[in-house]
Amino acid sequence: MAATALGQFRIIDLSTHIAGPLCTKMFADYGAEVVKVEPLGTGDPSRNIGPFFKDDPHPEKSLLFFYLNCNKQGVTLNLETAAGRNILLSLIKDADALIESFPPGYLAKLGLGYGELEKINPGLVVTSVTPFGQDGPYRDYAGNDLVYYAMSGMMYASGAHDREPLKHGHPQSYYMGGMIAAYATSAALFSRTLTGQGQHIDLSLQESVAAHQYDSATRYSYTGTIERRAPKVESGSTKGTRFEGIVPGKDGYIAPTMQRGRPTAPFSDYVALLGHPELDDTKFASRQLIAEHREELDDVLLPLIKEWKKEDYFNTFMSEGFVAGVVQTSEDLVNCPQLKERGYYTEVEHPVIGRIKVPGEMFRLPECPWSLRSPAPLLGQHNEAVYCGELGYTKEDLVMLRQLRAI
Amino acid sequence: MDTKANISKGPLAGLRIIDSTTMVAMPTGLHIMADMGAEVIKVETHTLFRTEAARLLYADNDPGDEPWNRDGSFNTLQRSKLGLTLNLKVPEAVQAFKELTQISDVIVENNRAGTMDRLGLGYEELRKVKPDLIYVSNTGFGHTGPWRTYAGIGRMFELTCGLSQFTGYPDEGPRRVGKAFFDLHVGWTAVFAILAALHYRQKTGRGQWIDLAMYQIGVSTMGDAILDYTANGRNGQIVGNRHPHHAPHGVYPCKGDDNWIAMGVENDGQWDALCEAMSSPSWTREERFTDTLSRWRHQDELDPLLSQWTRDFDHLELMALLQKVGVPAAAVMNSREVLTDPHMRARNFFEHIPHSPGSGIGTKSYFGRPWKMSKTPSFIQRPAPSLGEHNELILGELLGRSQEEIERLYEIEVLGTVPTDPPTFIPPSYEKQLEDGSLAGYDPDYSKIVGIE
Repeated sequence: MAATALGQFRIIDLSTHIAGPLCTKMFADYGAEVVKVEPLGTGDPSRNIGPFFKDDPHPEKSLLFFYLNCNKQGVTLNLETAAGRNILLSLIKDADALIESFPPGYLAKLGLGYGELEKINPGLVVTSVTPFGQDGPYRDYAGNDLVYYAMSGMMYASGAHDREPLKHGHPQSYYMGGMIAAYATSAALFSRTLTGQGQHIDLSLQESVAAHQYDSATRYSYTGTIERRAPKVESGSTKGTRFEGIVPGKDGYIAPTMQRGRPTAPFSDYVALLGHPELDDTKFASRQLIAEHREELDDVLLPLIKEWKKEDYFNTFMSEGFVAGVVQTSEDLVNCPQLKERGYYTEVEHPVIGRIKVPGEMFRLPECPWSLRSPAPLLGQHNEAVYCGELGYTKEDLVMLRQLRAI
Repeated sequence: MDTKANISKGPLAGLRIIDSTTMVAMPTGLHIMADMGAEVIKVETHTLFRTEAARLLYADNDPGDEPWNRDGSFNTLQRSKLGLTLNLKVPEAVQAFKELTQISDVIVENNRAGTMDRLGLGYEELRKVKPDLIYVSNTGFGHTGPWRTYAGIGRMFELTCGLSQFTGYPDEGPRRVGKAFFDLHVGWTAVFAILAALHYRQKTGRGQWIDLAMYQIGVSTMGDAILDYTANGRNGQIVGNRHPHHAPHGVYPCKGDDNWIAMGVENDGQWDALCEAMSSPSWTREERFTDTLSRWRHQDELDPLLSQWTRDFDHLELMALLQKVGVPAAAVMNSREVLTDPHMRARNFFEHIPHSPGSGIGTKSYFGRPWKMSKTPSFIQRPAPSLGEHNELILGELLGRSQEEIERLYEIEVLGTVPTDPPTFIPPSYEKQLEDGSLAGYDPDYSKIVGIE
């Protein structure tokens, strides 16, 4: 078996939706053994969230669930039964970490709070991923991606000056929370090698987004000024010396800049690369001058940029050291030459979906690389393997447990 | 080393990390590791512009005598670290860097591919002096592939990683949200990657080189979108603040200038609670709003009706009122409201850090970490280092250089505490920023409001 970075860890994953499952996916991708424990019936609610394979809303065909749960084993367990709770306690005896995303206090009410778990396994790291954390006045508030963006300060300062505040169109707060949960859990496991002690980690999704604001909260604390959605950050314009806007090209959107390392590249180099050296003009010879003639710059450049295909623009300017961006679609990502060359996509066979190409490696650890070992589990797929193979229940016990609605 | 004393400092106490990085992504990851007790030594040079300190966020908008030490973003991203200046163009500096490597666990750099090799400080060279070294190279697109030389700038990854295909007002083109958005994801993932390599080193005794591409980390948050194209041939659409299957979902105006309430109703129960909070006006019972699917289909008609109701409320009061009945609602908070929010206050999310009296910066409030560990608490260990603040400490105590040797290193421009190219830009006045609209307001008594007097 290939060397892994995290193969020595066994993680019990009670979490659902995106954040917790992303955390355990990062562990699983680098080798950890993750047992995903789902509630009976519908399983993880993300099984009912699209997109679905071939737009077929089948619980084994959610591509969101599939993406976040590859490399994990899947069992079902009903924590509201005594038998289910006892099975969980057996599971955590040999586990290194437990990730959960229940409302604060729920596990404690079932007798499965950190204090109880610690008695059974003092080395266990328990990570709780919740909207607002385990304490504080908003502890029981309802959260979602929109709520976290609103309460972070990021949304207020994003969007057009004279329109409503804007968030990202894809629920990034959950991905932020998952990445943060992953490094925090890993740090607690690292600390355990010195102390022998596990501990409880209390993570707040709202604070995860607030921790993204490395300058706006600091700005208030440094100056007392409140940042607003700035008029200079306009879409559809190259206004401003750094070309803040995202403007139309021939087949999509381009974010051009005149930045090339430091300092800003001369205007003559920029227009030469654009294919119009005759447009060089002393009027645009410095950042200061460009700022003064920003409206005129739009008139000169926008029609020319509109003639460029975004991929051509990106490669032409980036290979000459300019900074540029293009709005890539999912199709562009699937066909991206850089991702292909780096082996980012791999294939896996799923029992219901069939063969499918999957996005893979987040970062490269050459000694102990990322691997895709199995597709996302079907609901309860590994009940027998885990409960019989590892905990010593018999197949007859499974029948009994099923009838008791424990598994 | 006294292990017990280290443990009280945080989960990563006892680790030493060399931070030879600039910009936002890696400094973020490494200040977190420093908050967690790792000794992080920021290596920079006084001979180059301190780019991260050029965001013009000077304390009280005043560059002062040492503007390079007064920038709030820099001081946020470099807190808890020690500061060493090494001008790596001089061989003596390269020698000191190597000696520091010998007594460190991790090196992180974010130069363009090949730069560290040219300095004689690439992984292959340094593993000779420290065989189990963990060495992170962070670039935009990774060290292989046709885009490996392309410049990676945080605020472009929102576009190239596929997030902007969803983001903007639906009647317009794509827009950015936040600043340098994926930089932070990359910083957090870097912490995970370094810890993964440390776990591997504990098991095997082996170090390694980590190729950390910003692009791949950003794209990894787009898995469902990528699979939607693979399986269904579908690309993302710009959705504004709306949700693929929940409604109402957006921001609605409240009393006052530029105050908003965000509401994302996810099921019939929450809708019923919202209706009750509104005292159930007759329109809520119309057929077009009776179930989730029909509400989702009639959002264009629903949103103005809701706005009629919300506009008479204070946004913070409305948040409390709606949350009390179980509606996921939030005031769209500006930076003052975030810094003074009672919940984050109760959880001590912001930490108040006094800067040295000589800096003239005073006490400032910085965000902490969005998690708490029950047994190994983390905290901001010290304010960000001024340029070269710990030169003597590191070269003298860690590397055993004599006072004379250290003075010579200052003479030959290996060390320095004053930049050769200091920033000269004077930030615009608050009046001008208010006038051009980039500020929503200015509170002269902000220290009192934040509680950092």
